[in-house]
Amino acid sequence: MESGKIAAVGSEPVGNDDIGLERRLELFRLQVEIRDCEKRAYDLFLQNLIKGTSHLSLGQEAVAAGFGVAMRKGDKSFCTYRGHAHTLARGASMEGMLGELMLRDIGLMRGKGGSMHLTSVEHDVLGSYAIIGAHLPIACGSAWRAQYLGEKDVSVCFFGDGATNIGAFHEALNFAAIWKLPVVFVCENNLYMEYTPISEVTAVKHPAADRAASYGLESIVIDGNDADEVYRTAYAALAKARDGGGPSIIECLTYRHSGHSRADPAKYRPPGELEEWLKRDPLIIYRQRLKEFGVADDAISAIESESKRKVEAATAACKAAPQAPVDLLTADVYADGGWAWRN
Amino acid sequence: MTATIIMPQLGETVAEGKILAWFKSVGDQIREGENLFEVETDKVTVDVQAIVSGRLSEIRVSAGEVAKIGDVVALVGPAVAAVDVRSAPTGVMRQPAWRAAFEEVSTPIGKFGPAKGPDGVRITPLARRLIAQAGLDLDRLAQDARRRGSNRVVEADVRAALAQETAPAPPAPASLSTTAAPPQRSAQSGGAVVSLNAVRLKTGERLAENWRNIPHVFQAIEVDFTSIDRARRKHKDAFQQAHGFSLTYLPFIARATCLALQAFPNVNARFDGKALTLSRETHLGIAVDLSHNGLVVPVVRDAGDLALVGLAKAMRRQIEKARAGKLTPDDLAGGTYSISNNGAFGTSFTAPIINAPQVAILSTDAIKLKPAIVSTSEGDFIAARMMGVIGQSFDHRAFDGAYSAAFLSRLKQILEDRNWGDELDGEQ
Amino acid sequence: MAELTYRDAVARGIAQEMERDDRVVFLGEDIGKAGGVFKATVGLYEKFGPLRVRDTPISEQAILGAAMGAAMTGLRPIAELMFADFLAVCFDYVANEMSKLRYMTNGQLSCPLVVRTGNGGGVRFGAQHSQSIENWTMMIPGVKVVAPSSPVDVIGLMAAAVRDPDPVIFHEHKALYATKGEVPDGEIVDVLGIAKILRPGSDCTIAALGLMAPRALEAAGVLAREHKIDAEVIDVRSLVPLDTQTILGSIAKTGRLFTVEENPRLCGWGAEIASIAADEAFWDLDGPIVRITTPHIPLPAADHLEDLALPSAARIVEKVCRVLNG
Repeated sequence: MESGKIAAVGSEPVGNDDIGLERRLELFRLQVEIRDCEKRAYDLFLQNLIKGTSHLSLGQEAVAAGFGVAMRKGDKSFCTYRGHAHTLARGASMEGMLGELMLRDIGLMRGKGGSMHLTSVEHDVLGSYAIIGAHLPIACGSAWRAQYLGEKDVSVCFFGDGATNIGAFHEALNFAAIWKLPVVFVCENNLYMEYTPISEVTAVKHPAADRAASYGLESIVIDGNDADEVYRTAYAALAKARDGGGPSIIECLTYRHSGHSRADPAKYRPPGELEEWLKRDPLIIYRQRLKEFGVADDAISAIESESKRKVEAATAACKAAPQAPVDLLTADVYADGGWAWRN
Repeated sequence: MTATIIMPQLGETVAEGKILAWFKSVGDQIREGENLFEVETDKVTVDVQAIVSGRLSEIRVSAGEVAKIGDVVALVGPAVAAVDVRSAPTGVMRQPAWRAAFEEVSTPIGKFGPAKGPDGVRITPLARRLIAQAGLDLDRLAQDARRRGSNRVVEADVRAALAQETAPAPPAPASLSTTAAPPQRSAQSGGAVVSLNAVRLKTGERLAENWRNIPHVFQAIEVDFTSIDRARRKHKDAFQQAHGFSLTYLPFIARATCLALQAFPNVNARFDGKALTLSRETHLGIAVDLSHNGLVVPVVRDAGDLALVGLAKAMRRQIEKARAGKLTPDDLAGGTYSISNNGAFGTSFTAPIINAPQVAILSTDAIKLKPAIVSTSEGDFIAARMMGVIGQSFDHRAFDGAYSAAFLSRLKQILEDRNWGDELDGEQ
Repeated sequence: MAELTYRDAVARGIAQEMERDDRVVFLGEDIGKAGGVFKATVGLYEKFGPLRVRDTPISEQAILGAAMGAAMTGLRPIAELMFADFLAVCFDYVANEMSKLRYMTNGQLSCPLVVRTGNGGGVRFGAQHSQSIENWTMMIPGVKVVAPSSPVDVIGLMAAAVRDPDPVIFHEHKALYATKGEVPDGEIVDVLGIAKILRPGSDCTIAALGLMAPRALEAAGVLAREHKIDAEVIDVRSLVPLDTQTILGSIAKTGRLFTVEENPRLCGWGAEIASIAADEAFWDLDGPIVRITTPHIPLPAADHLEDLALPSAARIVEKVCRVLNG
């Protein structure tokens, strides 16, 4: 696979397996675990054990998994409030993630951030951002640091189709392009900006890919539900950035199975749309892909059962976990751990 | 040419001063006569002026530190080429750990008399405080204001009244103005009527309520303070040098009390009429008599965690805050046990009133030389020993006489047998 | 010792920190090759080169966002917002992002950066380029806010701000760029959270910030000479962390507090100080706390009108006299 050459939508791997069985199993495992964990989050919300709001990635697992496997340790993820999948895909634990959603002390941030701000520096997840578009320039800053210090990591910024119409998106792309920053912008186009079809509010058909030319970047649209395609595209973009070739923007076509957030029953979808996309569920695609590459059924079920076991264990641990001690209320406003604004 | 700034002579008997604040920083230009730093001695707080002009090149004694009279506290003159400064600290913002999330601003307690005087006269907060603290007659000051054609009593008026008070009083004229009826005549008994201010009335109400509700029992035990006295006298000067105030018996008694309370947790408890709630920590109240402003009991938090010197300093801080009228609700809340120190006038013992919802209060009185029996291997002899009575008023609902007596006995044993010299040596 | 302009002090302060630490980088609009629109950063591009001193497009959100991303991952950036009014264009980064990052991530991420900006009026730039907005930044929990009034403070507080591990908003004053002051040689490092007593006094306390500090000092001179009022003037310098002890200590001495604020009346920085004083120092007050501010209006461009709007030394003198003698 030549670096820089991106597979077009719908193409099949040719000849030798460029991805390899080990990576494929990893891609499958991640998608399965993300799916199971997000479904559990859905249930816990119904039981009122997860409070506030939660933006689930059901149906969008392939993008997170594809990048999760392509990214190296040290490469930095920046996501939106729909960041659970990306956080798990970089290796954060299910207890940490579910625990944070349940606002318990076991959570990644001990309940101080909540669902929309999942962060695990240990796993190079440098924040999930709730203000749409805000993290694109932030990812540029991280990439600038890498460029300035001669470090070889790449910053990857995940966002939705809705973010392509906000000011910060445009500022960030221009910024990254002119300074040739090692950053990859990944647009998960799930066809809806919150409750409105993206096509109704965007001047062009592909909200991310059709803007690329304005910033001197290549237009890339891929099937976001095919983890292999995501992986290959991710790999190429990361390599390009690492080699000093500058930023990329990748539009991944996908679909979310649930509403925008837990509060949304998604009645605005045209009848039949969800069913069509469910046929293209990333897990269905990838289960089939593994079989094509000779993976036995019981190997596949072993991954699936292990995932369910992990989710049960994580759920039990989180349910048993206490809430954070109240002195956390005023902790870590400032670097000294405190919150003093006066003497 | 470098000039030295020294700690100036601030009074005949003053040996040292504590620098409270520097008005200039290293690197600043200073002019002769400009205020340079603020010093506190045990008598007074003053601003010290610069005696030379130049550039403040080095500060040797920082704010919060003590220097002896004559010590060099700073240097003025040409700069050292490059000031070797490490990364600057992130400011002075170490908020004390106990500043609670909802107490970002410390509202002072203290009601110092009404804001409205007679005849529509208003009194400023500062004037009210000064009037109350000095025990002046607010009504008379208000009348004086009205006579001047003003409707306000301000600080200057109070200061003027204070200045008059210290001057020898002129013989009272046969009759004053018709509007000023002196309040000092009682029609009935012919004795003077001393009205109490609001603070004293409030304090009195609280004392009466505690007396009414709690079945007080008083117990006392005689304690030999000789070894404490010895340790105290041995370390007196060093302590005064190091900490700026003198070491009395009270910190020793407080320390011993905290230790004794560890073994008698029912004494360090709160009673709500039904249940006794033991406290893990000891928050020690120290009763302070403010004469015109009643009795306050500021609390030293976590006194049990402090050793002798730390405890002495913490107690001193609270007592000074009480006297300056700067106590906040935080300072008064949460006490688990109190001490009342009554020794100043030579009394033998005092039965104090318990500070509800606490269940007991310790009292100490005069400690003086008395004849006592000392047992030695050669027999029993009469010797002159420093003796004092430690008493405890306790709530008989919370525990009984045997428990209280055991506590007092333990306290006595700690006071008499503890190696106080070790505690003092360790900390100086 | 040398006499330096406030604008040259900015360049010197930044240079001092960039020399000391390779991780300090600087970005903003026209700050490099042009030396800044106020000529406050002249020479830095030549000295440190185009990799450390970067001219950006007109993209305030990208400037602050990139500074934040760089700070989070290991650099110590200084970002310029040309005019303080432009903070409104990228306010998300101060209000929602850099200020909350540490708290929300439970301390996992830090944001050691400095946002320096040309604040304040008196230079006839009109309503959208003349505002004094230090109070906008004071009210957001999680950032620190300073506003130096003299060249030596510019350098010292810039050093303290760069070395501070928290995000610091550094409000320079446009009308002070041309003013001069004595600056010692060598490295200068100050401490955040410390107010300076510019003039000790006993009759009243006047707390001021930025351009208002030299005006308060000037007024105090007139008050002493012509009205026998001995005012203590405090340059607050640091709004967060706030040196309440110096201010409260001063009130304990004088019994009267005035603030002189360039921001428009409502919710100016002095309102908070007045509130703290009315609470903690209540029993030290001998009269009402008075705030002397710009009226609650947008600023006019016309010079005679703008000069009326911002508190002048004369207005400070008049108000203090009227209140103390009335």
